[in-house]
Amino acid sequence: MAEFSWDIRSPLERALVSGAYGAPGDAGVALTEIRNFDLVQVMARRGKAAEMSKAAKGRFDVAAPETPKVARTADATLIWSGPDQFFVLSKGGKHGIGALGQAFAQSASLSDQSHARVLISVSGTKARAMLAKLSSIDLHPDVFAIGAAAATSMDHTSVTLWRSADRDGLAVFSVLVFATFAESLWHTMLDSAAEYGLAINHSEDL
Amino acid sequence: MRIVCPFCGERELGEFTYLGDAKPVRPAADAGEDAVYDYVYLRDNIAGMMSENWYHGGGCRAWLKVTRNTLTHEISAVEPAAGAGAAKVGA
Ligand SMILES: [Zn+2]
Repeated sequence: MAEFSWDIRSPLERALVSGAYGAPGDAGVALTEIRNFDLVQVMARRGKAAEMSKAAKGRFDVAAPETPKVARTADATLIWSGPDQFFVLSKGGKHGIGALGQAFAQSASLSDQSHARVLISVSGTKARAMLAKLSSIDLHPDVFAIGAAAATSMDHTSVTLWRSADRDGLAVFSVLVFATFAESLWHTMLDSAAEYGLAINHSEDL
Repeated sequence: MRIVCPFCGERELGEFTYLGDAKPVRPAADAGEDAVYDYVYLRDNIAGMMSENWYHGGGCRAWLKVTRNTLTHEISAVEPAAGAGAAKVGA
């Protein structure tokens, strides 16, 4: 019998080249792929939305978002992904598919999306200008504050977009995209950001 | 054209897919061939206010019932279609 050695590889492994890209000088946009996360889709069963909310509150000690927002705990981010559904984003298995089953057994269906999505973090002084080329969402800070989220499309590709905590006084946007569309969206992002100069990286830190 | 999704807010048309007339109701199993033919094939070509099914596939993936004037594209109401966002329907 043939033996296989299964390696976990990022769908962006070929496309992502760490370092500088585009216009020289200070990078206006930082693109960082976040690798090795746990991502679980939680969807209420018919008529069980209230029960799912209660289960989420019990499990995470914060209410799951019921509008396009994210809710954060010390070690997990709950991201609205549509009516009566949300993602649980975390690391290290504590809130992975195996750990959540019990809590939602009576109210929701879970599906492991850890290797089905790519997570891209967009920051830098020109992050909004670059995203404005791809997204029709109004990302002005008055409208899209920290914790705001959207299920939307970029370049005809479905994404989940939210604003994470600021870093060094600058906004940080997180984009979850289907793994098979990630390379295409990645190239579009590089094209959009090239004029501002890019710093490309990958990281294991959520 | 933009549609105000009851779940997501105002979005561009490109995020939505049009299904068609929201009025036809599936006939009962014993309703007869004419009723089924009518349900499957016959549609009114409405010039004016129309109730339509739209899918927010590029967003929250909810089915919506949109009331639209086919002459002006003016949208007067958007509500979740039955089964979408179970908690909100009928609320
Ligand atoms: Zn929507």
